[in-house]
Amino acid sequence: MKGGYGLGKPILAWKTKMKITNDLNLKRQASELGVSIWQTPSFLFIVMGVINIIAMTTTFIIARNYDDPRILVLSECIVTGVIFFFGGMIVNGVEQIARLNRAKSEFIAIASHQLRTPLAAINWEIEILKSKFKKGLTKRQLQGIENIEISTKHMARLVGDLLDVAKIDQKRLNLKKEKIDLVQIIDETKSNLRASLKNNGIVLKLNVSGRKNEAMVLGDLEKIKLAVENLVSNSIKYSRKYGKIEILLKKNNGFWVFSIKDNGIGIPNSQHKQVFSKFFRSYNVSRYQAEGTGLGLYIVKNIIKESGGKVWFKSKEGIGSIFYFSLPVA
Amino acid sequence: MKKYKILIVEDEASLQESLREFLSMENFETVSALNGDDGIALVEKEKPDLILLDIILPKKNGFEVLEEIKKNKKTEKIPVILLTNLESAEDVNRAFDLGVTTYLIKSSYTLEDIVKKIKENLGIG
Repeated sequence: MKGGYGLGKPILAWKTKMKITNDLNLKRQASELGVSIWQTPSFLFIVMGVINIIAMTTTFIIARNYDDPRILVLSECIVTGVIFFFGGMIVNGVEQIARLNRAKSEFIAIASHQLRTPLAAINWEIEILKSKFKKGLTKRQLQGIENIEISTKHMARLVGDLLDVAKIDQKRLNLKKEKIDLVQIIDETKSNLRASLKNNGIVLKLNVSGRKNEAMVLGDLEKIKLAVENLVSNSIKYSRKYGKIEILLKKNNGFWVFSIKDNGIGIPNSQHKQVFSKFFRSYNVSRYQAEGTGLGLYIVKNIIKESGGKVWFKSKEGIGSIFYFSLPVA
Repeated sequence: MKKYKILIVEDEASLQESLREFLSMENFETVSALNGDDGIALVEKEKPDLILLDIILPKKNGFEVLEEIKKNKKTEKIPVILLTNLESAEDVNRAFDLGVTTYLIKSSYTLEDIVKKIKENLGIG
């Protein structure tokens, strides 16, 4: 790959491995991790359990039917051997999965980091063209530059999400604890997403209990902004056209509680347990053709948890969802 | 009005060019190097008012360049802004321990933001 970053093949391999799926059954999990199903801990535990039951039953029968204590000792030795053999295989399987998981996270971190350099180059060139050469550009050229800018921002967001996931997996989020204002963050988010709100005819309202105009919490400004933006853009994405989104900030027992309510497509009950999992996509989403990687809520959960808060939700398919998070008052 | 001289040590030619062009349009004088060794040589030769320094660089990396600048009595006081895509706490702490004044993530900052930080460091904001 002349003059390139040498990422084509690893990214393709990663994409193949990390095929986004909601059907995370045992076999698929094993193949995504690149190990055979025989090496997954759950499978080995089942095998070991079954063999143990058979071996114990056999020992019991032998002990009852034969008086020779040597047979009893021999059968107990066999049982212990079987336990050790499969125990070893389990440990080996667990280690291999942990190793593959680490390698996967490191690969994602390196690939995302490398992708940021060309992204910076594109962004800076766009900035120069827009700020210094705008007068010399035709309307069509300017439109083209703006389209490139939108796509670059989109790509930067995806790369940022991947990098955040890698950091979460490596337990290296390293969040700051600073005094930040949730009201200001929501206002900024609203302004950043105004095109999307307008295009979908959605009204977004913010209410702060006690009519306060600030809600100071402790957290990392950039990451809390990201969490709020993920929740607001999800509400927009899964709302129907001309929907209504309400954000409420309420103080409760030393925490500010943020809630965002939409009257969108909602999440089916059967999928509630998976909502904050990595790569989660609800099965009723494809019908509405919303884009997404399924990383947003996983990132939100980890950012809020690391900041000393909690995340939860209520949702009903066809009616809408309310997502909540709490953060300590500053 | 004094024209401040900025040394850019950046191995990605396209990034270096964007920085040079934007800074020139903002009335700064620029000199640039594509690797750590040339960067150190230019610090001594050009006596810049501020250095924009990448970390991942051929020949000598940004941390090594920084160590040499800070070891030299003639150059130790020149403000250094690290401009990189590395953002681990380990790298950030190491940079500040070595006397960096500002640490910026390339992909998160616009050129205008970078100019603002340069002006702040030069006390002309």
